[in-house]
Amino acid sequence: MSDIRLFSNNDDDDGGRLARGLRSLYAAPSGDSYWNELEARIMSRVADVELGWWTELDRWVRPALAAAAVLLIAAGVAMFRARQAENDIAVDSMLSSPAVPVSTAIRPALSDDREARIRFLFGSGR
Amino acid sequence: MTAASTIDLSYAMPSIDDGKPDERSLVIAAQQGQSDAFAMLVRLHQRRAYAVCRAIVLTHEDAEDAVQEGFLHAYKALDRFLPDQPFGAWLYRIMANASLDLVRRRKVRDADELPDTVPMPFRDPGESDELRRRLNEALQKLTTRQRAVIVLHDVEGFTHGEIGEMLGIPEGTARSDLHHARAALRRLLKDVRSDL
Repeated sequence: MSDIRLFSNNDDDDGGRLARGLRSLYAAPSGDSYWNELEARIMSRVADVELGWWTELDRWVRPALAAAAVLLIAAGVAMFRARQAENDIAVDSMLSSPAVPVSTAIRPALSDDREARIRFLFGSGR
Repeated sequence: MTAASTIDLSYAMPSIDDGKPDERSLVIAAQQGQSDAFAMLVRLHQRRAYAVCRAIVLTHEDAEDAVQEGFLHAYKALDRFLPDQPFGAWLYRIMANASLDLVRRRKVRDADELPDTVPMPFRDPGESDELRRRLNEALQKLTTRQRAVIVLHDVEGFTHGEIGEMLGIPEGTARSDLHHARAALRRLLKDVRSDL
């Protein structure tokens, strides 16, 4: 008996018949002219994209971001070095300044009781 | 052996081994802005890309639109593609996404205006109208994903893994969808004669 139905009880047969039916239903257009025309339409749309100003902008986004990152890093390094140099200068100036005379480094002894009393009265004695 | 493995792909990709530049070189050239190289990639892949889109959308016209959208997306994303990866798999995933987007947009539009007739696919004059009509109606009753899986597998010969990658689903889900789609079609078409 010939197979008169699209499907039988046999799964393997079903797959083949179904595939044949589907293939005929989903057949792509044949003929090179159709595909040449489709390719031309696709490339025409691609060309439209290429001509857009945003393409040029998009092309510069990455280099611009990279340049900005490099500038930020350079600025950070420069600031760090400047601060370090300031610290070095401050330390150097402190270490290299002339020694304070012993007489001024030590709290001068009060000359007499009178002076001590005056300072106490005017609140400047510490 | 599956049914798909016996299918003759009459519109398979053209060979790129007969003296023409290999695909990787074309991709690199296209990434450097050579539109001729991208045109060659379009020529190499457009038939297969159409088949992927056609498996997902409902009409030939929508498949054409999806193919164009897909290639446009691919062109814009080309600089992010790694040339050592298989270009076809990447491109067909983009095609599948473009097609699924189109299906979603159509669903929103069709919710407002219902078509009077069910659109028929590209017509082969040698095929029985009745069989085509019944098969087409049965396919409309499947989900978009089930329809895509059965066409991609049984017509285009993609493996479950490739289909899963294209549609963004696990391989097991693609396998399960195929099983359910076949069962549904078998149920819907049990009274259709194959010699119609």
